[in-house]
Amino acid sequence: MAVISEFFGHARLRPRKRLLGRLGTGATALVLPVAILTLWWVASDRGWLPQQILPAPAYVYEMARDMIASGEILYHTGVSLRRVIIGFAIGAALGLSLGIAMGLSEVVEDYAKPLFLAFAQIPTLGWIPLLMLLVGIDETLKIIIIAKGAFVPMAMNTFTGIRNVSPRYIEVGHALRFSRWQQLRLIILPAAIPSIFTGIRYGLTHSWTSLVGVELLASSEGLGYLLVWGRQMFWLDTVIIAMIAIGIVGFVMDKGLNSTEHLIQRWKKGEA
Amino acid sequence: MAAATSQAVRFRRGITLPIFLLIAWEVSSRSGLADPRFLPSLENVALTAKRELIDNNLFGDLAYSLMRNLAGFLIGSALGVGFATLLALSRIADRLVMPTFNAVKQISLLAWIPLISVWFGFGEQAKIVFVALAAFIPIVLNTYDGMRAAPADLLEVGRALKFRPHQRALRIYIPSAMPAIATGVHLGLIYSWLATVGAEYFLAVGPGIGGLVIAGRERFDMAMVMVGVFILGLVGFSLNRLAYSLEAYLLRWRPRQVR
Amino acid sequence: MTKVPHIQIENVTRKFQVSGGSLVALDNVTLDIAEGEFVTIVGASGCGKSTLLRLGAGLDTNHEGSVIHAGVPVDGPSLDRGMVFQEPRLFPWLTVERNIALGLENSGLPKSEKKQLVAQHLELVGLTAFAKAYPHQLSGGMAQRAGIARGLVNRPDVLFLDEPFGALDAITKTRLQDELQEIWAKERITMVLVTHDVDEAVYLGDRVVIMSPRPGRIREIVEVNLPRPRVRTAATLLQVRNRVLNSLNETTGAIDRERPAAVFEESATVSKQPITAFA
Repeated sequence: MAVISEFFGHARLRPRKRLLGRLGTGATALVLPVAILTLWWVASDRGWLPQQILPAPAYVYEMARDMIASGEILYHTGVSLRRVIIGFAIGAALGLSLGIAMGLSEVVEDYAKPLFLAFAQIPTLGWIPLLMLLVGIDETLKIIIIAKGAFVPMAMNTFTGIRNVSPRYIEVGHALRFSRWQQLRLIILPAAIPSIFTGIRYGLTHSWTSLVGVELLASSEGLGYLLVWGRQMFWLDTVIIAMIAIGIVGFVMDKGLNSTEHLIQRWKKGEA
Repeated sequence: MAAATSQAVRFRRGITLPIFLLIAWEVSSRSGLADPRFLPSLENVALTAKRELIDNNLFGDLAYSLMRNLAGFLIGSALGVGFATLLALSRIADRLVMPTFNAVKQISLLAWIPLISVWFGFGEQAKIVFVALAAFIPIVLNTYDGMRAAPADLLEVGRALKFRPHQRALRIYIPSAMPAIATGVHLGLIYSWLATVGAEYFLAVGPGIGGLVIAGRERFDMAMVMVGVFILGLVGFSLNRLAYSLEAYLLRWRPRQVR
Repeated sequence: MTKVPHIQIENVTRKFQVSGGSLVALDNVTLDIAEGEFVTIVGASGCGKSTLLRLGAGLDTNHEGSVIHAGVPVDGPSLDRGMVFQEPRLFPWLTVERNIALGLENSGLPKSEKKQLVAQHLELVGLTAFAKAYPHQLSGGMAQRAGIARGLVNRPDVLFLDEPFGALDAITKTRLQDELQEIWAKERITMVLVTHDVDEAVYLGDRVVIMSPRPGRIREIVEVNLPRPRVRTAATLLQVRNRVLNSLNETTGAIDRERPAAVFEESATVSKQPITAFA
């Protein structure tokens, strides 16, 4: 999506403006972050805001270096990642199965979809207190919550993807006397892949958001815990570092998904 | 394909599982098969609902949650559409701001809560800021993509008709981005509800539906938590419906889609 | 009675940058069009006929040579030059009425006059009953009528039409051709229509400009000296049609696929230059 709009967008753009034209695209992108950093530095240097509300950038930098060197950041990131991977894998597999079943069979759809939709209406965060009572606050809770985050978008997008496969392709399959299995393997699933990928994308985003939520509420390790802990101790540097780590993980997941998507969907126009 | 199954049959199938679950629930809690602390009877849940809704004025709290949700959502979406329009139509603004925005959006929504609580406190202001942020991000992304994809042939018609920049924005970019903006608004509505719940969990626990759920957990009152979760779902559902009708209204110029 | 050319296209060359070189879409094309004349342009795909039209309308100004409209060089689009596209390019979110009104956005006319003009043009193309319909509710022919109305609503003195009926079925096409001809007779404006349909070109045009591809050049200009309204099946019309077809077949056909461009360039040099006498 973004790639397509980028393409169209730049095709219509006017000749570059002089000031920015001389700077490269990369350099222009850095103008704002550098400006913010400078403002931040000046603000803390002049003491416009108290240290607890805005620690000096240098201080945050040093803290980050220490936390990296001591392995603390890596440890918490690892804990969070492990949870997300397990939870996402479970939720996505279940969602994919339900989506395929509902997509292929109207009977399954009739039975399962109303309940599924009702279930999907409740925000993931809503389930946390309920599950805390049922399963306690250990690892199981986190995995279930993260899996739920992936399950709903995965099932929904797989279902619509399969349902939106053009009947014209299916007709081709009939004409070629494909068996049901061939029909599924050669036509329906490939045609539904873009939609399934949307499900994976949303699923992963929701899993990651749910992880942060559940770690904020009930955890003694992980990046979300680092946030709460930093907040409670009024160590804003720790809070900021944890936020950056969360952002970096999000970024890496996003990039990873993009390249996988391109690889799988080479046949799609304009996305090559 | 097979002949369409009749509405009645579909309805019957649709309620089969929920009814089965309710029966299983009732039987296991009545017969003592399940610990009533984990699975209170339906009657107990209904009584709790009545107690919270009528005796403890949950409706008032709910109204409070919704107001907060609405205020944040309106602020976030107005800022979002404006911001995205600027980025999509100005190359300079785009190149200056978009990379930073793309980096910042990677930070998971809930991770902002600690920072927001430090900067804005635990009160109403912090909650509204957080809800607005939740609506802002999806609306910016979708509006921006929609405008960037404005059809080149309509832009050319605009050239042939000598449109000025503001006419191009009002007559072509914004309307053609409308479906994308609607998607953004829809997502924004859902995320802002999530954020309202999140804000009520993590910021000051006070009146509001999130507060009810948290209080229920602390008192180990499963019925109370269930009532809260049920209402959360109900509100989410209503907001979704609202978004659909809003979308249908804004996009009434499009051929009706088969759903 | 001699007239000053209304549109003067002189020695126009248009090149496009493509990967690994430049492509000559139009090569030194000269064409004069008289006021109130109906000129049709035919040619195989790739002969630059649409490019020529876009240059005339001012949608493309990146060319060598000069394009002059009523004595003024064309340096961009103008409301005095109407444009109708092949796909009608209606704005899907506006009703037919408001789509047509789009043409008047920058006319500077008072509101009441705009309203009147829109109503008048709805009537002209027979869409009064569909004023409040959205584009997706229209048939292809109706949508193109709306497109024509939008092109005309500014009362331009020349209307450029880029294969306006190319996507329509045969029956609708015939009807719209007749309607366009009536509009032309009534409004007395210059019309330039690009098409790949020889019957259409001959039926509608005072003159038929035949173009040849790679590079785009004018091969021949055929005058259709037949009174209007014309009869589609008249032998005289068929004669002209055959002449145009023969001329087209000499330029295209096998050459299109097989002969290299260089050889083709030579064959194109036999093209006659435009007839400049508007007797």
